[in-house]
Amino acid sequence: MTAITEDLQLERGGRQRRRQVVNFAIFLGPAIVLTVLFFIIPVIIDVAVSFTDMGRSLQVTGFTTEQYEKIFAGDRRLVEVIGLTLIYVFATLAIFNVTFAVILALVTTATNRLTGNFFRGVWLLPRMSPSVLYILLWIWVINPSEFGLLNQVLMTVLGLETPIDPLNDMPVLLIVIANGFIGASMGMIIFTSAIRAIPEHLFHAARVDGAGGFAVVRHITLPALRWPISFVTIYQTLSLLVSFEYILLLTKGGPFYDTTVYALYIYRRAFQSGQYAYGAALAVFIIALGVIFALLGWRLFDMQKLLQRPRIEVQ
Amino acid sequence: MVAATNGTARITATGDDWGRLAARARRTRRVKATSIYAFLIAVSIPIVLPYFWLVTIAFSARTGVAETQVLWRAVAVLVPAVIAFWAAAMLARGQRQRWAFVALVALATIIAFVALVGPSLHLENFIFLVEPDFASVLRSKVGTVTGAVQFPNVWHAFGNSILLAGTQTVIVVTVASLAAYYLSRFDFPGRSSMLRSLLVLHAFPVLTLIVPLFLMLYYIGLLDSLIGVILVLVAFELPFAIFIMKGFFDAVPWDIEMSALTDGASRRQAFLKVVLPQVTNGMLAISVFTFIRGWEEYIFVFTFLIRNTNWTMSLYMFYVREDVMGVDYGVVSAVGVFYLVPSLLLYMAAQRYLLQMSVGGVKG
Amino acid sequence: MASIEFRKITKRFGDVEVIPDMDLDIADGEFVALLGPSGCGKSTSLLLLAGIYLPSTGDLLFDGHVVNDVEAKDRNVGIVFQSYALYPHMTVRDNIMFPLRFKKTPREEAIRRVNEAAALVQVGDLLDRRPGQLSGGQQQRVALARALVKQPQLLLLDEPLSNLDATLRLSMRTEIKSLQDELGVTTILVTHDQIEATTMADRIICMRAGRIEQAGTPDDLYARPSSLFVASFIGSPPINLVEGKAVNGTVDVSGIGFPATGATGAVTIGLRPEHLVVADTGLPGRIAQIEPMGREVLYVVSTDIGHIRILEQGSTAGRGAGEAVHVGFDEAHSLVFDTTTERLIPDSHVKPPAP
Repeated sequence: MTAITEDLQLERGGRQRRRQVVNFAIFLGPAIVLTVLFFIIPVIIDVAVSFTDMGRSLQVTGFTTEQYEKIFAGDRRLVEVIGLTLIYVFATLAIFNVTFAVILALVTTATNRLTGNFFRGVWLLPRMSPSVLYILLWIWVINPSEFGLLNQVLMTVLGLETPIDPLNDMPVLLIVIANGFIGASMGMIIFTSAIRAIPEHLFHAARVDGAGGFAVVRHITLPALRWPISFVTIYQTLSLLVSFEYILLLTKGGPFYDTTVYALYIYRRAFQSGQYAYGAALAVFIIALGVIFALLGWRLFDMQKLLQRPRIEVQ
Repeated sequence: MVAATNGTARITATGDDWGRLAARARRTRRVKATSIYAFLIAVSIPIVLPYFWLVTIAFSARTGVAETQVLWRAVAVLVPAVIAFWAAAMLARGQRQRWAFVALVALATIIAFVALVGPSLHLENFIFLVEPDFASVLRSKVGTVTGAVQFPNVWHAFGNSILLAGTQTVIVVTVASLAAYYLSRFDFPGRSSMLRSLLVLHAFPVLTLIVPLFLMLYYIGLLDSLIGVILVLVAFELPFAIFIMKGFFDAVPWDIEMSALTDGASRRQAFLKVVLPQVTNGMLAISVFTFIRGWEEYIFVFTFLIRNTNWTMSLYMFYVREDVMGVDYGVVSAVGVFYLVPSLLLYMAAQRYLLQMSVGGVKG
Repeated sequence: MASIEFRKITKRFGDVEVIPDMDLDIADGEFVALLGPSGCGKSTSLLLLAGIYLPSTGDLLFDGHVVNDVEAKDRNVGIVFQSYALYPHMTVRDNIMFPLRFKKTPREEAIRRVNEAAALVQVGDLLDRRPGQLSGGQQQRVALARALVKQPQLLLLDEPLSNLDATLRLSMRTEIKSLQDELGVTTILVTHDQIEATTMADRIICMRAGRIEQAGTPDDLYARPSSLFVASFIGSPPINLVEGKAVNGTVDVSGIGFPATGATGAVTIGLRPEHLVVADTGLPGRIAQIEPMGREVLYVVSTDIGHIRILEQGSTAGRGAGEAVHVGFDEAHSLVFDTTTERLIPDSHVKPPAP
C-alpha cells in the first residue's frame, strides 16, 4: 500500500519536473536565447576584439595588449574627451534633467490641470520627435545665416548686428541645450506624478500652518521628490554617458573633436577611423560603467515587490 | 497685539490688519499667477516656434527661396488665437458658454488665417510622395544637375520602417509576455537571480555594444539586412518590456488564476485564457512604445544598413536633409512633417502609459 | 478668539455649485458642529474658513472684518484633518513646531510651547518619532497639538475622529471637548456622525446639499427637528416615519386613524423609537424581531402601517418574537411633518389610534 503511494508520488513528482522543464523552455526560452545572443556574446566579442589588432579590413592578425597601452599612455586626445564628457554630463544633468525638470513640474502643477497639461505637452514634443527630425529643427534654428530662426529673432527683436554661428562658436553649450530639451521632459513627467501623489491635505495643512508658496515647496514638495530625483539622476547620468545620437547628428562630434564625448569617440574611432580593436577596448570601460550604474539603480527598486513569491505551486 | 494669558498668547487682529493682509494676499496672488504664466510661455517659445516653422515651411516654401514671411504672419494669427482659446476656456462659466466662446474664437482664427496665410499655402512640397526622383526635379529647377544621393521611392522607405517597427513589435510583445508571465507567476530555481539580472539588463546601455554587434552581424552575414537590425533591436527592447509586463502580471489577482486551475485548466491554458486578457493594457502599451522606438530608430540602422533599398524613414529623412537642404527647404520640411506625424499620433495614443514606461517598478 | 460670520457666501467649482447661499453666525468661543452626509458642503465650508478656498461670492467675516482675500497663512487658524496630514519626513517635534517657524517665534519659546502643546495632548514622550511610527490615535493627538501650538483664534476639526476605533473615539471625544472648554477657542467640527456632533458641540448646524437645514442646540435638533431630513439624520436608532393623510382631525395611515391636532393634507408622522412603548392599547402589531443592544432592547414590530422600531430600557427582552403587542406613545413626543414641503408642522401632534 505504502509502496504504491510512494510510486505514485514519485511519478507525480517526475511529471511535475518534466512540465517545469517544458514550461521553462516555452516561456523563458526565447527571451534567454535573444538575451544571450545580443547581450552576452557581444560583450565577450568586445573583450576579445579589444585584445587584437583589428583594423579597417576587419582582419585579426594577432593578439596584443597595445589597445590598452594606448588608452592608458598613448592617446592624449582621450583626456580631453573624458573631460568634455564629464562637463557635458554634469551640465546637462544639473541644468536640465534635474533642476529645470523640477521647476517645470512645480510650475505646471501650480496652475490648473488644463494649462499644466498643455505646457507639459509642449515640453514633451522633443521627446516625441524622431531624433533625425529633432536635430533637423536645431540645424535650422542655429543656421549661421540671417535666415536661421535664432538669428532672425536675435537680429530683429534684440537688434544684434551680425548673425551668430553657435555650431562653431559654442558647440558644447549647443549639445547641452539640445540634449537638455529632451532630458528635461523625462524628469518633468516623473516629478509631476510624484507631486500629484502628495496628499492634498498636506498642502492645505502647511498653508494653514503659515507656510507661503516657497515654504510649501521647500518643506512639503521637495522632501517628497527625494526618491524620484535619485532615480532620474542615476538613470539620466547613465543615458547621457552612453548616448551620442543627437551629438552625432548635430555636430558630428566637431568642430574637430570639440563635442566628441566618450561614447561618440568610440564610435568615431571604430567606424570612421576603422580602429575596431581600439574602439572595442574603449567600450570595455563604458560597459563596466553601465553595469555599475545599473547596479546603483537597484537601490531604487522595490526588491520585495519584484521578488514576491508566486502563490501557485503546480507547474 | 500679542498678549499672554494663562501662558497662552492670543492674537487679535484689528480691521486695519485684516485689510492690510487681504491687500497683500491679492498682490501675492496676482504676482504669482503672472509670473507662472510668463515663465511657462517664455520657456515654451523655443520649442513651439521651430515646430511651427517646420509645418509652415512644409506648406508654403517654394523651391530656391528662403523666406520666413509666412511663418511670422502665421504666428501673428495663431498666438492671439491660442491666448484667446485659453482665455475662453478659463473665463467661461458653464459648458455652453465655453463652447460658444471657443466656436467664436475658432471662426475668427479661420477667417484671419485664410486671409493672411491662406494664399501662400500649397502642397507642392509633398512632391516626394509621388515622384521618386524628386531630387533631380528640384535640382533642375535651380540649375544644379548632379546630386550625391540616389533616393529610393519614399513609400519603399516607409514600408521598410513599418516592416521593421511592426516585426519588432510583434516579436517583443510575444516574447516579453511569455517571459514576464513565467517570471511573475512560476517558482523555479534561480528565479531570484534571474530577476536581479533582468533589473541590470533593463538599465543596461545597449549603445555601448554597437562595435561588437557590428562585428557580429558582419561575421554571420546579417550586416546590411533588415533582419539583422530587427533582431538586435528586439533583443534590446526585451529586458525593459519584460520588466514592464511583469509589473502588469503582478497586478493580476491570484484568485482568478487559482479558480481557473480549480476549474480544470492547466497553467498554460490559464495563462492564455484567463491571465493574458487581463493584461491587454500592458501589451498595448508595450506595442505602441516598441513601435515608436522602431519607427524612430536611427543610430543602429545608420550603422548597420547601407543599401538605399534597405533605408528606413529615418535614413530617408537623414539623406534628404544632407542632400536637398541647400536646394529646397520646403521639401525637407514636408518630408519632416510626413515622418513626424505618425510618431506624434502614436505618442498621443499612448500618453497615459508614458509615466509607467519611464518609471517601471520604482519605489514610491 | 474670533467670532465668525458667513454672509451670503456661495462657492462654485466650475459648473458645480457646492454652496448655493450660506448665512451663518458663530459666536466667540463657541463649539459648533457642521453635521451632514458626505458631499453636503461641510468640508468646503471648513476650507473656506481656513483660507484654502475663496468664496465665489459673498463675504466671510472674522470679528466683523471681511477676510475673503486673506491668505491661509495669515488667518491664524488651526486645523486637524481626517487624515491628520502630518508631514511624513519630519519628527513629531518638527511637525508641532512647524507653524511656529513661520511666526518667527524665538527658538526657546518655540521649544517651550511645543513641549506644552505635546503635554496637553499627552504625546510628550513621542517627540522624536516620525508620523509613520505612530498609531492612529497618537497621530491624531499630534495633529491636534500642531493645530493648537500656534494658539489659533479658530480651531477647525475635519472629521477628526472617523479614522479611530470605537473606544479611542469615545475618549478623544471627551478630551477634545474638555480641551476646548479649557482653552475657550472658537471651534468648528465637521462630522457626518450625529453622536459626535451632539456630544461635543454647543450648537449643531445641520447641512444638506450646501444649505443649512437647521441650526440649534443638540436638544433643539432632537426634540424639534425643523424638517424630515434633520429628524431622520439625528437620533439612533433612526426615527420611525410613516406617511398619511390628515382629514378632519385624523391622520389616516393605511386605513388606521391617528387622532391629530393642527394638521391637514399629506403629512408624515415621526415617532422616535425611544418614545414608543409596548402597551396594552394603541397600534396593534406583532413583534417581528428582537435586537438586544446592551442597556436597551430594540423591538421591530410589524404593524398595519409597516415596521415600527421600539427602544425599551433594560438589558433583557421581556417579550418573545411573534408576540402580539400594542404600540403606545405620548402625544407630546410625536412629530408631524408636511410631506410635500418636508417641514415640521409646529404644534401639531398625533395620538395613538383608539382601540
